[in-house]
Amino acid sequence: MKRVFQHPPEASNGRKYWRSLGEQAETPEFKQWLQREFPSTHAEIESDGISRRNFLRLMGASVALAGFGMTGCRRPEAYIVPYTKSPEWIVPGKALQYATAQPRRRGAQPLLATSYEGRPTKLDGNHLFYKSGFSKVYGPSDTFGQVSILDLYDPDRLKEFRQGKEVKDNVVFFDALNAMAATFGDGEGVAFLADASNSPTRDRLRGELVKKFPKVRWVEFDPISDEAEVAASKAAFGGRYLQTPNWDAADILVTLDSDILDGDEGGHEAVRGFANGRRKLAKGEKMNRLYSVEGRLTTTGAAADHRLRIASTKIGAVALALATRLGVAGLPGSPVKLTEVQTKWIDELAADLLANKGKSIVSVGVVQPAAVHALGHMINDVLGNFGATITLMAHPRPESATLASLVQDVKDNKIKTLFVLNSNPVYSAPVDYDWATLQAKIPTVIALSHEDNETTQNATWVLPAAHYLESWGDAWGRDGTYMSTQPMILPLYNGLSEIELIARIIGIIKYEAPKADAPKSETPQGFGPELVQETFRRISKGTDFANDWSQFVHDGFLSGSAAPKVAPAFNAAGAAALASQAASAVLPDGAYEVVFYPSPAVDDGRYNNNGWVHELPDSITKLTWDNAALISPATAKKLGVPDRGSQIDDPYTDAESSIPVPVFMFTVDGKNLSVPVLVAPGQADETISIALGYGRTVVGRVGFGTGKNVYLIRSSSKPWICSDVKVNKTSETYLLAVTQEHGSMEGRGLIREASLDRFQKEPDFAHHIGIQLHGNKELYNNPQLVPGKRDIHQWGMVIDLSTCTGCTACIAACQAENNIPVVGKDQVIRGREMHWLRMDRYFSGDINDPTVASQPVGCQQCENAPCETVCPVNATIHSEDGLNVMAYNRCIGTRYCANNCPYKARRFNFFNYNERPLNELYYGPLAQKGSPETIKMQKNPNVTVRIRGVMEKCTFCVQRIEEAKITQMTKARVTDSPEHGNKSKLIPSDSIMTACQQVCAAEAIVFGNIDDPNSHVSKIRGDALHNNKGADPRNYDLLHYLNTKPRVTYQARIRNPNMKMPGAEIFLKDPESYAAPHHGHDDHAEPGHGAPEHSGHEAPVQPQGAQH
Amino acid sequence: MANIFPRSANWLPLEILTCIALLGAVIPVGMWYYFTPKYTRVGYMPNQPVDFSHAIHAGQVGLDCRYCHSFVEKSGHSNVPTTQTCMNCHGQIQAANPRLQPIRDSWENGTPMKWVKIHQAPDYVYFNHSVHIARGVSCVSCHGKINEMPVVWHDKSQSMKWCLDCHRDPGANVRPVENVFNLDWAPQGTTQRELGDKLVAAWDIKPPTTCQGCHR
Repeated sequence: MKRVFQHPPEASNGRKYWRSLGEQAETPEFKQWLQREFPSTHAEIESDGISRRNFLRLMGASVALAGFGMTGCRRPEAYIVPYTKSPEWIVPGKALQYATAQPRRRGAQPLLATSYEGRPTKLDGNHLFYKSGFSKVYGPSDTFGQVSILDLYDPDRLKEFRQGKEVKDNVVFFDALNAMAATFGDGEGVAFLADASNSPTRDRLRGELVKKFPKVRWVEFDPISDEAEVAASKAAFGGRYLQTPNWDAADILVTLDSDILDGDEGGHEAVRGFANGRRKLAKGEKMNRLYSVEGRLTTTGAAADHRLRIASTKIGAVALALATRLGVAGLPGSPVKLTEVQTKWIDELAADLLANKGKSIVSVGVVQPAAVHALGHMINDVLGNFGATITLMAHPRPESATLASLVQDVKDNKIKTLFVLNSNPVYSAPVDYDWATLQAKIPTVIALSHEDNETTQNATWVLPAAHYLESWGDAWGRDGTYMSTQPMILPLYNGLSEIELIARIIGIIKYEAPKADAPKSETPQGFGPELVQETFRRISKGTDFANDWSQFVHDGFLSGSAAPKVAPAFNAAGAAALASQAASAVLPDGAYEVVFYPSPAVDDGRYNNNGWVHELPDSITKLTWDNAALISPATAKKLGVPDRGSQIDDPYTDAESSIPVPVFMFTVDGKNLSVPVLVAPGQADETISIALGYGRTVVGRVGFGTGKNVYLIRSSSKPWICSDVKVNKTSETYLLAVTQEHGSMEGRGLIREASLDRFQKEPDFAHHIGIQLHGNKELYNNPQLVPGKRDIHQWGMVIDLSTCTGCTACIAACQAENNIPVVGKDQVIRGREMHWLRMDRYFSGDINDPTVASQPVGCQQCENAPCETVCPVNATIHSEDGLNVMAYNRCIGTRYCANNCPYKARRFNFFNYNERPLNELYYGPLAQKGSPETIKMQKNPNVTVRIRGVMEKCTFCVQRIEEAKITQMTKARVTDSPEHGNKSKLIPSDSIMTACQQVCAAEAIVFGNIDDPNSHVSKIRGDALHNNKGADPRNYDLLHYLNTKPRVTYQARIRNPNMKMPGAEIFLKDPESYAAPHHGHDDHAEPGHGAPEHSGHEAPVQPQGAQH
Repeated sequence: MANIFPRSANWLPLEILTCIALLGAVIPVGMWYYFTPKYTRVGYMPNQPVDFSHAIHAGQVGLDCRYCHSFVEKSGHSNVPTTQTCMNCHGQIQAANPRLQPIRDSWENGTPMKWVKIHQAPDYVYFNHSVHIARGVSCVSCHGKINEMPVVWHDKSQSMKWCLDCHRDPGANVRPVENVFNLDWAPQGTTQRELGDKLVAAWDIKPPTTCQGCHR
C-alpha cells in the first residue's frame, strides 16, 4: 500500500501565518499551484525557433559526429604558468586577506578582502575592528559590502578614456589636463561636483585645491543626503553634529520612519545593539523593546514589537504629540487628527519612555524633514538620552556648497569647467533643476565615472574611475575612526581614483613618460599611497611613521582614532522653532502621499548594474529586479487593483508572480510617472512608497530596463514626501518578479514565537507548538554520534529567530561565497532563482497591518535526508561529519531529490546560467557560450561552477570546512604523537564560520561542531549524544514529525510586547498551538499516521515512508 | 490480400543485423579505449619548453623536492618553480647553455614559462598536496619515481577508483613523515603493510571517502 503522508491539520484557532495575499485568500487554485514544485509549466525545453523535435534531431547529429575521431576524447594540452619572480606573501592556492574599507555615505565599512593570487574574490567584515560581538571573530558586513566585489568585475565598466565619443590614451588626457589646469587662474569658473564621500585625503586635497585656485567651487551632492539631520543639529546644537547612539545601552528604541536595522541609517552597530538586547531573556534581565512608527513596512518595522502604521506626512504630528506628552513645552499642536487608537498608542509609548528615562533612543529616518529630526532631538533631550544612550560627534566632512548654488551659477553662465566626481546628477538631481539642460551649457565637463551613465553621455571628457578595491584611499568610519582603503589589484582598466585626479589637477602628481631603459618586467605602477600617507601623517601624529603606517594598513584602521564625543549645549528654543514647522505638514482627507525611499537593493542607483542585488528579494515585499509603487491592500481595493490571487485561472500555468499588475500614473507638481503597483501588507493606507535608483536609461546590460525612475518626479522642495499627489490608473500592465510565493510551506508550526511573558512562564513553549514527537524509529543509528567517541566533527547550525531581522545580507554573502549564478527576472518569475538560502517572510494578523516573522531556510542537512534515498546515481549522500553532500558531476538531473525535499531547499540549474547571457538562455545547444573574463575572476576558486542540468543546494560552506580540517591536519603533523594525536585533529571550537554566519551583524546564525561540548552551537542544541540534554528551550527544528532530524535548528522568536498598547491582544493569542500535542508514532494503532482515510486534508508531501 | 508491409520492409532484417553488428563493434572499441591506461593518460610524456631532467636534479644532484616545489607542504597546490628559482643556480651554472635560453629569456622579459601540465585533476576535484604530505603520503605514491625520470611522464592512473583505493586502505602507502620526500625509501626490517597500518592507527588517519573530501 502506498502511504500518503499526513501532515497535521492547520490550527483552526489562534494566529494564522501567511506569506502572500493569494495564500491569505486561500483560493483552491492557489493551493493547487503551490503544490507544484515550480510554479509554471515551462519546465519543458522551449527555445526560440527550435522545437523539441528539432532539438532532438540536432542532438542526434552531434552524437553521431562525436563518433568520428577519438581526438575529441583526449584531454586538451594544459599549461602551468608560474610567476617569473615570486611575489611576496603569495603562496599559489592559498588565500590572503587584506584589510580595506568600503566608502559609504554614513562612514566606511571596514572589510577584509580575500584574495587569491592577487585576485580579490570575497569581502567580509573586518573582525579586527569589531571587538564586542559574542563570537570570537565578529566581522559583520552587509548587502552592499558583499555585492561591491561584483562591481569591480563588472564587464560594463568604463574601460577607456574618452574625449567626446572618441577613445583616447590616458596620456593624452593628462596632457590636456595639464594644459587646462594652466588656464584655471584663480579658479573662477571651475567647479567640482562630487559624490558625498568621507575621505580625509580628498578633503585635504580639496583644501589644497582651494589654496591653489581660491575661487574654485566645491559642491557635494548625494541624492540620499543627511541635509535634514544636519539642519536639525544646527538648530538644536548650533553646529554640524552626527549622533552616535550606543544601541546596547537602550532598553526602548523608537524609530520614526527610520530603518535602523537595514542599510546605512543604523549600520551594524544598531543591528548588534538590537540583537544583544533581544538576547536578554532571563528573568532579571531587561530585554529591549522596539517601537516603530512608519508608513512603509521596513525591516525595522518588521522586527518591531509594536508598529504604528501611519502616513509619513503625519509622523510629524505623532512626534509632536509624543513630545508634548513627554512634557516638552512650547510646541504647537498639529492640525492632523490622530485617531483614538493612535492617541492611545502614543500615550502608552510616552508612559513607557518616561518609565525608562535615559535608557531609550528615538531615531528619525532620512526621509523625514528637519522639523521631525528636531523633534527627535527634543524628545531625546527631555528623556535625558543625550550623554546616556546617545553621544554626538562633529560631522567628519567639511561643509560644502549645495547643488542648488551650483545650479544658480550655471544658470548665470559662471561655470566654464565642471569636474563630476563619481556622481550622476543628470540621473539623480532634483527634477526641477533640469540638470541635463544645465550641463549642456557648461563648455567643459569632465566626468569621472565607474560606468557609462546618464551624466557621461555629453561630457567633454569621460574618465574611468578606479574601484575602491583598485586604489589607495582612506575614509572615516561611522564612529569617526580613521580607516584605510588599499588596492587589492591594479586598476583593471587604467582607472583613476578621485584623489589621484585632484592631485593631478593641483600638480602634486605629474605625468612622466616612462623611461626608455626601464626593464619590461617592471609592472606599470599606478600612483602609490603617498597621498594617503601624507594625510595619515597628520592624523596619526605618531613618531614612528613607517611602523604606524604598516600597522594602519594591516589593521585597516587607526586604533583609538574614533571621533571624540562632544556634548554641545542643547538649544531648546532653536530646536523648538524648527520643530514647530512639523505642524504645517498635513495630508488632506482622502489624499495620497508618495514617499521615496533609498532602495535596499540599488541604493540611489549606484548598484544598478549589479545582478546580485537585483536578484536579491526585498526583505519584506520579496520583489526582485524592479521597483514598484507599494500600496496597502485597503488602498488597492479603493483604487480598483484586482486581487492577484483571485486571478489564477489555471494553477498549472499561472502563478501570482506571473500575473501582470496594473500600472498607475502618479502626478506630482505636474510631473508624471507611471509605476506598476504592488500590494504590500503593512503599508499605511495613504502612503505610496517607491524606491529610488531604478529606471536608469544609460546603464550596463544587467541594469537596463529594471524598474521606473522616480527621480523624474522628485523635486528639490519635496525630496522624500510628496503629500499632494494625483493617482490615475493606466491601461498598461507590468510583470513583477516576486518570490514570496515560491517555496511556501503552509502553516505547520515553522515559525514559533511567543511573548517574553509567556516564555518566562513556559520556557519550552516552542515544543508545544506543532508536532514534536512523531516516531522515533531509526533505519540506522548515526554511527558518528557514539558516546565516548568525540573524534570527529559533526556540523550543525542554529538560527535565532529573535535576533534575525530578515535583512537578507546572508543571501548575498552566500551568493558571493558559493558562485551562485544570477538567473534573471524571467527565470525568477518561473520560480527558478538559485539562492541556496531563502528568507521566508510570514505575515500574521490583519491583512492591512500584519505582524511579520522572518526565517532563513537553506538545506537543513537532515540526518535522515529524504533526498539521499531517492537519488538513482548516489550524487547526494551523507558524509562522515554529518553533511548532506552533493557531487555535482555525478548529478544527472532527475530532480527526484528536489521533489522529495520537504523543505524545498534544493535548486536546479535549468540553464547554463554561468555560460550564457541572461537574454540568450533559450538559444539552442550550438549557440555561442562563454562568460566575460572578469566575471570568471570573481568566482571562488574553491567551489565548483555548476553547469546546466545539475542540482545544487547549501553545503554548509563545505569548502571552508575542508580547508580548516586540512589546515588542522597539517598542523597535527608537527604536534602529533600516539598519545595525544587524536585530539589535535579536531578543529578548535568555533574557529570556522559559514558565509551567512560571518556576514550577520546580529549574530543570529551560529555554526559549529555539535559533537564538541565547548562549541557555541552545542550549548544551544544541547548534548547531541544524550538526546540533546541541556538544549536551549527555544531550540526546535522544522517539520520535526517527519523525523528528518535536521542539523539546522531554530530558536523560537521572543517578542517583548507592552501589554498596555492597543493591538497587543494578538500576543495573548497563542500562535498556531494545537490543542493537544500530537502523540508519538508508537502509540498509533493501525493504520497509523499515514492513513489516507485519516481525513480529507490534502497531502502535498509524499516522502517514501515505511510501508505499513 | 494486400501486402501489410511495404516492400522496403524486406530490408528490415538486414538493417537490424547491421545495427547489431555495428553496436557489437562500437562497444568493444569504446571499452578498449576507455578501459585502457591510455584514457587515463598513463605514460603521457609531453615535450616541455626546456628539457628539464628530474633525473639529474632530483636524482644525481639530489635536490630536495621542496627546493623547487616550495609550497607543497603549505598549499593544496604544489607550485612549479618560478623562473627566479631556476636562475638562482643557472645564473652561474651552465649560464651559457643554449638549452636554457628560454629560461634566460623569461627572466629578462618577464614573460612566464609555459610548462605543459602532465597531472591534471579535473576542475571539480579539489586535491590538496599539503594534507597528503602531512599524513605521510610520499610523492612517489602518486607520481612514481620522479627522481629517475629524465622526462616526466604520467605514471599512475589517478582515476577516482585509484584515489579511493588508497583512501580506503591508507596503510598501503603511509610512511614516516620524514621520509615523504625520499623517493627511494623502503621500509627497513618491516613491511610497508605492517608499518603503514601501525602509522595509520597511531595517527588516527581516516581519509574521507565521501564526496566532500574532493568535490565541493
